[in-house]
Amino acid sequence: MKEEGKHKKAKKYGMVINLDECTGCGACMVACMAENNVPFREDESNKLDSIAWMRVYKLTNGKSYPEADICYLPRPCMHCEGDHGHSPCVSVCPATATDYNYETGIVSQIYTRCFGCRYCMAACPYHARYFNWWDPVWPEGSTKYLSPNVSPRMRGVVEKCSFCFHRYQLAMDKAYLEGRTVLEEDEYQTSCTQACPAGAITFGDLNNPEHKVHQLAKPDNKHGGRPGNPNVFRLLERLGTNPKVYYMSSREWVRQAGDNYIDNEDFAKNYRH
Amino acid sequence: MEIGRRSFLSFIIGGAAGTAISPLPWKLIDDSSIWSQNWPWTPVPPDGEYSQSNSVCTLCPGGCGITVRKVDDRAVKIEGMKGHPVNDGGICVMGLSGLQLLYGPTRVKTPLKRAGKRGEGKWEKISWDEAISDVTKKLAEIRSKGESHAVGSIVNSDSGTVPNLFKRFLTAYGSPNFMTMPSMQDSYNMTMLLMQGVSAQVGFDAENADFILSFGSGIIDGWGSPVRMFKANSAWKVNGKKVVQIESRLSNTAAKSDKWIPIKPGTEAALALGIANVIIMESLYNRENIESQSGFDAFKELVLNEYSTDNVSSITGINSATIVSLAKNFAQASKPLAICGKGQGSTPGSLNEFMAVHALNALVGNINKEGGVWAVSESDYIKWPELEMDSIAESGMQKERIDGAGSEYPHAKSLLNRLAEVINSGDGSLGALFVSDANPLYSMPDSKALNTAFDSIPFVVSFSSYMDETASNSDLILPNHVYLERYEDVPTPGGLQKNVIGLTKPVVTPQFNTKNVGDSIILIAKALGGSIADAFPWDSYDACLKETLGDKWDVLEENGFWSDSDSKVATGEFNFYPDAMKSLSSFSSVSIEGSTISYPLVLIPYDSIRLANGYIGDPPFVIKTVEDTVLKGKTACVEINPKTGKELGLTEGRYAFIHTPRGKAKVKVHLYEGIMPGIVALPRGLGHTAYDKYLAGKGCNFNELIGPAEDPISGLDAAWGIRARLTKI
Amino acid sequence: MSIQDDKAKEVSADGAAGPIILFFILGLAASLVFGWVIFPKLLYSQKKQPIDFNHVLHVEAVDEGCESCHFFREDGSFSGIPELAQCVDCHEEAQGEDPNEVKFVEEYVANGREVPWLVYARQPDCVFFSHVAHVKEAEMDCGTCHGHIGESEHSRVYEENRITGYSRDIWGKNISGLKKHTWERMKMDDCAECHATKEIKTDVETLPWPINWLPLPYKKQTGNQASVTTVKEACFVCHK
Repeated sequence: MKEEGKHKKAKKYGMVINLDECTGCGACMVACMAENNVPFREDESNKLDSIAWMRVYKLTNGKSYPEADICYLPRPCMHCEGDHGHSPCVSVCPATATDYNYETGIVSQIYTRCFGCRYCMAACPYHARYFNWWDPVWPEGSTKYLSPNVSPRMRGVVEKCSFCFHRYQLAMDKAYLEGRTVLEEDEYQTSCTQACPAGAITFGDLNNPEHKVHQLAKPDNKHGGRPGNPNVFRLLERLGTNPKVYYMSSREWVRQAGDNYIDNEDFAKNYRH
Repeated sequence: MEIGRRSFLSFIIGGAAGTAISPLPWKLIDDSSIWSQNWPWTPVPPDGEYSQSNSVCTLCPGGCGITVRKVDDRAVKIEGMKGHPVNDGGICVMGLSGLQLLYGPTRVKTPLKRAGKRGEGKWEKISWDEAISDVTKKLAEIRSKGESHAVGSIVNSDSGTVPNLFKRFLTAYGSPNFMTMPSMQDSYNMTMLLMQGVSAQVGFDAENADFILSFGSGIIDGWGSPVRMFKANSAWKVNGKKVVQIESRLSNTAAKSDKWIPIKPGTEAALALGIANVIIMESLYNRENIESQSGFDAFKELVLNEYSTDNVSSITGINSATIVSLAKNFAQASKPLAICGKGQGSTPGSLNEFMAVHALNALVGNINKEGGVWAVSESDYIKWPELEMDSIAESGMQKERIDGAGSEYPHAKSLLNRLAEVINSGDGSLGALFVSDANPLYSMPDSKALNTAFDSIPFVVSFSSYMDETASNSDLILPNHVYLERYEDVPTPGGLQKNVIGLTKPVVTPQFNTKNVGDSIILIAKALGGSIADAFPWDSYDACLKETLGDKWDVLEENGFWSDSDSKVATGEFNFYPDAMKSLSSFSSVSIEGSTISYPLVLIPYDSIRLANGYIGDPPFVIKTVEDTVLKGKTACVEINPKTGKELGLTEGRYAFIHTPRGKAKVKVHLYEGIMPGIVALPRGLGHTAYDKYLAGKGCNFNELIGPAEDPISGLDAAWGIRARLTKI
Repeated sequence: MSIQDDKAKEVSADGAAGPIILFFILGLAASLVFGWVIFPKLLYSQKKQPIDFNHVLHVEAVDEGCESCHFFREDGSFSGIPELAQCVDCHEEAQGEDPNEVKFVEEYVANGREVPWLVYARQPDCVFFSHVAHVKEAEMDCGTCHGHIGESEHSRVYEENRITGYSRDIWGKNISGLKKHTWERMKMDDCAECHATKEIKTDVETLPWPINWLPLPYKKQTGNQASVTTVKEACFVCHK
């Protein structure tokens, strides 16, 4: 082992999504599907079983015409760290098919190990996990565009966003060949980040103050990575799942939509713990 | 010795014990678990050497640079090309899904000849020689009868080498009927011609504008060059630039704008002139520069007499104070920019509206200025030798066009919207029609009427790579390579303020027995012989392209694009009040079809970047991203205001019929607070009958519910909606 | 219990104890022979490589050992078994008269066909293995996993598991699953064995908060006992 390899710092990969810039175009969804060999079926309009590792939700402000407003919210896997190292899904998996990697902060999903109990899906508060109710079928000839970097999944297993972990591995391969063990910020970017035509997604190491995600989210590591930027929020912050996907919006109703509040609760006071 | 029960049992127990201490059970358990984790029917994508190849996407006219990731000879992913002047790394849903088209099930794999009735779906596979000779024979026959002008072609646009090869072919053959698919570019081009006296493409320096006034343009819904506009929109957000969106529905663009001003649809021109009124009344313009321009006095008179704030307020439904403050904000911004072309700009729209908006730009002095509107001279890299016409060609070219462009409508170049009516009413006929890079039977308004017109054309040849609606209703298909398999130039995308030429490259070898459409044309011309063959001196399309691009070829081949260092501006004298504008002296919006009594509602289309509505339909990945409030199962959803829903007794998710004077369709109701009461909105891009099972049969085609409305000046289609009725099922 | 019953028992015990033991031994022996000898023969089919390849000859002729033909590409990916294009560099025409050489040139080089080599070390699709991480970063020898293949003069018979479709090399030649050398088996436990003993993981103490004090399964991992199959930490490192 080389010396520097032994003492590399743990990373915490995360994402900041600027909802002011997000146009709801769906490029992140398709970039993800194309990158990760996500299957498709004839009818995908039942969104509960339509597999989309990255899904763009449409939020509405609940007001009437012409005060109505909408905002789009892309939802990858949040790669929760949890308050005690417990991601909701990881702690319930009876098969060790999903785990939390402290080196990168990425929650994995090992398809061949999963036996399809779907306990993780019940545990995930973000609906980020999808079950393969059917065997994947590609139209004749279409298997040609499948990427060798991601295994196609079989029927009966759960799948979800991996932060394009294979891209991390490919980048590390290149780094190793060049005698490096540390990646530059732009060497490892997820497929959705790269594709976003609005540049709304920022991806990087939340532990690294040099990285843009750190500068945007200003995560408070003493409190589970809570955002320090007042325009930044996380989904269901108060559950304590400590997601690594942060959202940024200048509109208060959007920030408020990130969590549940009881009637008359003071949002301004409570929206971050 | 007798083998008794006990002995037998003993044998079995011994066997079991032995088996347990043999590897058999443990190995079998291990192997069967490996087997069950790797079902043979789950594909295992082979690994190999990774490489990248730069090219250009042609799925829309946006002209984005793409980088195709390959593993050995398989293309596995399309990404946006970093550093490309149009999209700099960004990419849209369609661009990302290109490989589903390349390797997908809708490819036409070999030349096909119709075997059954038209549209029946029965085809006979034929060789390329047979296909070319079939076309040649038919064309020779028509020509020998002296009816060469009865051959027409429909292509996507009139720029680039392939459309120009078609045009050249028709000219040499003797037909003026070179038709193109309509878009807002047609109206912009005509505005440039009438108001600035130049033949130029419109360009917007959107990135540098600081106040964007959009008359219903779907800036982030696919208008212009979509990825470029997404990037511009983000830059506006970062730099605090203002966007005001004027339209009757809260589109994505409206939601992302700084201010959404709902307007009665069809009254945008009046609003533009109302804003001009405020600017002139309050002297918010540069009097010295503007008042000397020709036509200004007449324009001023028109605006002051007819478009007072109160008057405009009653036409548009926008209150006076809003109009005034909008006009002030616009005029006082340092680089204001007004744009129009509804939704994605896939229909031309009313010329009055384009001229009124352009006059607004001129009034604030942003023509050919940073952050303004530019008249861009098209890059004239196509310099082919003059062709020599024989007598048949000459007489054919002297005939009037079937669509009336250049004659009835002198400024128009192509009026495909009129074709259906001309043929169906018996005013004209075609003996043969070529369709390339276009799907008019799906994407032209009143597509059913066009279908009827096609029925009377005895010979329809499609050059489509895919089994689209037009290809499936043709007699002969000469399939083109997909853009990832061929060389082709991609002319400057609409809306760019400087010329950027792209070059598609064969990223993979052709997957099927297809041929570049350019080669097909050259082969047909050569087979016809005489002056037609002489007009095509090239051995192949690639040779023609290489020669045409000249010294740009090497740069294009290497980078995938070539760009002008500066904008090439076409200058002419600006005229605020061309004759054509006189029709605005009393405002009437382009009237839409249907009576208010039988059709109390107004149906408008809306565009979504997730729904492709041109030549190519949504590939499986893209249709997958469509929300369930847009498409549910096989039914498209219409958006209505909850108030309208209440009046009609329609609740969320109810099925209903939508009736218009042109057609009827089953829809699902989606109550949406973001739409003006009394209006029904239906997405474009659904209701395909062709393509694969992932797209065909889903929802209804908006074009079957609407008919074209001829703009009185341009002759282009100005329809923005149609009257409609919703009935419960 | 009656006397008669006791008698009957005695009789049967006297008269049948021998055969019972005999049959037990017979059953035992038969199943052992089946399990240890016949079963492996049934389980694996024997396949010959399309070309009998001589590694010794090639290693002598090249300068950079294994990496002359099995090299890393610039992007860090591993080329694996050479493609025809590489072989053609030297073998455009047959060198010598070895029938394998002639066959190679006539059947493959002349027709531009890739040789359908059977890959002894091929892993299931769910496995991610980085050659560069092991060979460059960890400076391991090829032989640690692949054995002395570079010293072979002939291609071994490829034994394909009829159930899984993978080579016998994965489970190992020894049907019991035991091995003497690191390269004799290539299953997950064999990877894990090395990873657990060599403490390849990041040094926990240098990690920032909160990892260095939380009661993590991670810490267990750095001990030598834990199995990668039951401790949650880094499945993604080797799986895709």
